[in-house]
Amino acid sequence: MARILVVEDDQDLNNAYCIILRNEGHEVKTAYNGKQALTKLKDFSPDLILLDLLMPVMGGLEFMQQYDLVSQHPSIKVLIFTNMENSPEVQEAYKLGAERCIIKSWTAPHNLAGVISDSLRENAPHSKAKTKSKAKAKKAKA
Amino acid sequence: MNRSAEIAASEQKARAEALFNSIGDGVIATDEFGRITRINPMGRRILGYNKVDLLGAWFPDKVIMVDSEGRKTNLIDRPITKAFLTGKPISQKAFYLRKNGHPIPVAINVSPILANGKPVGAIEVFRDISFEEEIDRIKSEFISLASHQLRTPLSAIKTYSHMLLDGYMGDLNKPQDQALQTIVEAANRMNELISTLLNITRMESGAVAANIRLLRVDTLVKEVIKDLSSQATNKKIELSVNFSGAYSKTIRSDRVILKEILNNLVSNAVKYTPSGGSVTVKVRLRASEVVVDVHDTGWGIPKYSQDQIFSKFFRAENIVKRETTGTGLGLYLVKGLVDAINGRIWFESQEGKGTSFFLSLPRIKQQRAR
Repeated sequence: MARILVVEDDQDLNNAYCIILRNEGHEVKTAYNGKQALTKLKDFSPDLILLDLLMPVMGGLEFMQQYDLVSQHPSIKVLIFTNMENSPEVQEAYKLGAERCIIKSWTAPHNLAGVISDSLRENAPHSKAKTKSKAKAKKAKA
Repeated sequence: MNRSAEIAASEQKARAEALFNSIGDGVIATDEFGRITRINPMGRRILGYNKVDLLGAWFPDKVIMVDSEGRKTNLIDRPITKAFLTGKPISQKAFYLRKNGHPIPVAINVSPILANGKPVGAIEVFRDISFEEEIDRIKSEFISLASHQLRTPLSAIKTYSHMLLDGYMGDLNKPQDQALQTIVEAANRMNELISTLLNITRMESGAVAANIRLLRVDTLVKEVIKDLSSQATNKKIELSVNFSGAYSKTIRSDRVILKEILNNLVSNAVKYTPSGGSVTVKVRLRASEVVVDVHDTGWGIPKYSQDQIFSKFFRAENIVKRETTGTGLGLYLVKGLVDAINGRIWFESQEGKGTSFFLSLPRIKQQRAR
């Protein structure tokens, strides 16, 4: 199980990601903008942050600048989850330390779960993220 | 010369001077060494210089050209140099530094002045395009924002549909499953359209940001094939891949842009090939490049349409009769993206037999496959 912070302003999507990731066995906390995320991070230390870029109050890039991922939190992975593909904002997010960019509208839930598990497994050997989705297991049983 | 002839000559000179001074774009004339011999008032206004600052000065030295990042343009890359070297008119967009050091976007057209076939000078017409650039920027920003806003509800539709299909909310019966598949497919089509429009806007405004990194073409091709395999299977098309060559297929390119190009080429091949046909993707090495061939046994492109295939909104007549969907934007986008990553694309096609697209990408030399 890994600790994941979901930062997404769209309530429907935020809820959906929580369902998917909790179903995988992860501990999930949520924030609806970068400012809320900074507050949550005072008493929650995640293995991974799933971060939207375009959000009200504080967007993903400003959050990354303020959180100072590269210098202050190098062990935390940030996966950008956006619809702004091929954009300068995504390039900037990479410069600020994002590990990967996932396009929301092209990513099915099982793919999201898979990408997150892969990412946690690749560089965090202590992570105990499950490799098989409960939903998929349930389908297989059916 | 008699008095009246003198007056006439003087009037003619005054008229020519007035005409030159009234031109609404900046005009600079140089001698064969590139020294400024004339500049009109609009030119001086755009650059913020007085006449005395400029006359007699070496043009590239006095009027500094920079790129969008503020880097000084090499002499060899300046339009006036190209015009002198080629003997042909050169058009280019760039930035000139005003006297106060502030960059200003300009559209430049420079022509060599030839006498007996030899350049004796050059004449440059340049225009301040700050307003057009600002309009382009606003347009691009609007489309980017609108696309993002359109995609947010679309993402929710797709995510929840997939969650239902994946059994997160309980089991479904067959008609419910099929209905959800239809919703996902329709959402995918809308998503593709938004992607295309967004990419075209970026491409046309020159805002495609290439993130150049080391990557393996064969790995990327495998990913694209995997993504499109269900589409091919549903249409009963054999989709295969063929790698040749013992050396690494590592190149320096932009992963996202290259995947978009490959995805467009392979999905087009699947789309425009009838059931029972085949699509083969080959990756091969040439001296300094990796070439990806996408070959299909599809309907082909009629000879008379082949020179229009990369044009915006163009759809071949034989395709329009068979396929009602399609925007005619895919290959237009592909061409622009190939240019953005310094690649080359060409094709061979025979109506009723099939089409082969060839994508050439510069390769990193002397690197062994791992």
